[in-house]
Amino acid sequence: MTSPKRYPTIIAALVLVVISLILFSLNFKSPGKPGFFKKIVLEMVVPLEYAVNSAFSSIGGAWERYVLLVGVERENKELNARVASLMKEVNDYREMSLECVRLRKLINIKHDVEFPTVAARVVGRNRLSVFRTVLIDRGTADGIEAGFPVITAGGVAGKIIEVSWNTSKVLLLVDYNSNIDALVQRNRCQGVLQGYGRTGCELKYVQRSENVKTGDTVISSGLAGVFPKGLVLGKVVSVDKEETGLFQRIRVSPVLDITRLEEVLVILKRAGDDR
Amino acid sequence: MIYYLLLPVFTLFVLTLQVTIFDVLFFGKAGLEISLILVVYAGLYLSVVRGGILSFIIGFFLDCITGVVPGFFVLNYMLIFLISKAVSLKVYAGGVIFTVGFTFLCALLGKLLIVLMYEVLYGINVFYDILNVSFLQAVVTCVSAPAFFILFYRLEGLLNVWESRSSD
Repeated sequence: MTSPKRYPTIIAALVLVVISLILFSLNFKSPGKPGFFKKIVLEMVVPLEYAVNSAFSSIGGAWERYVLLVGVERENKELNARVASLMKEVNDYREMSLECVRLRKLINIKHDVEFPTVAARVVGRNRLSVFRTVLIDRGTADGIEAGFPVITAGGVAGKIIEVSWNTSKVLLLVDYNSNIDALVQRNRCQGVLQGYGRTGCELKYVQRSENVKTGDTVISSGLAGVFPKGLVLGKVVSVDKEETGLFQRIRVSPVLDITRLEEVLVILKRAGDDR
Repeated sequence: MIYYLLLPVFTLFVLTLQVTIFDVLFFGKAGLEISLILVVYAGLYLSVVRGGILSFIIGFFLDCITGVVPGFFVLNYMLIFLISKAVSLKVYAGGVIFTVGFTFLCALLGKLLIVLMYEVLYGINVFYDILNVSFLQAVVTCVSAPAFFILFYRLEGLLNVWESRSSD
């Protein structure tokens, strides 16, 4: 039998579970509307991540480059240290140069996109989480709202799902929760591009009779009211017409490397806002 | 009181480390879930209220930072916390082998909950996608758990001394 002393413990445990379940169900009802506390956390975490990331980006680069050279001869160490210091300097210049190239590309894209846009920097990501999201350093103060499309020079990156004052969370197009109405550019057949995590995306609900080939470009259809029409989503990497079933199994690889996103453009308008 | 005031700051610091430095250290191929280790530690060694609030805050912060399904990490970590608490009432939880083994099981349980959630809510099977990363991640996490347990134990000791001094 449970001793009376245990009751407060059991009650506390039950209260915690009930609170968790309530939070889970309440948030599920109204996604995209972070509460005040959530906004505060987002606001606090971005400067922290930004500071840690910038402090460790050069160290991280050096770590990734040199970690495999632990067994080099002793006399090389001194030279390596000098090379490392020079490399850091060169790396800084290279980073600036690459950033410049990327920003130029973004500016070109900005001219091509007919909607107002705002450039943002990716400041936080978790490559190992099952949820494929990134944090960017722009929020409602820059006119961003939940549902706005996020693009890069290569194509669509995802869409905004949560916004605080100076930070937004982007749901990448490879996340399982991402569904984008899409077209195959060559033959205009329509489907829904769903994220499939590490393996990229899958173009669903394309009928077996449609002629889709490996290498075909998949673009946004502009129909679901989020992404403007014609933005590149990815390339078809495999088409599998199973013996049974109405639809084909089409694997799509995003054009851009989602894991290496650094700067993005947020389109300050949903496709549906035109209507 | 100091414990509850420092909790959000400490948790935020731990989570920032988790999603930045450890990601770099392991080349993004494996991860160290300090948050999970902290929740297991809370379940095994802290009271229901202290540990429960800690687990809740960790889950909430993770939901804010990386979560797509709001409230999921809160629920996930609360369940792991309560399981750890229940286990701590029945068995001696002091050995290194127990710590490693139990953390490994909790890491796998966390991933299993994700698989179940996607299967139940969306009808998507993410098992194979998660399997590639999860096993290595669970191994890295459970192997590091004893060292982090010692660290957390010392931090808790420091905090207790601080609290007793401030109340004198």
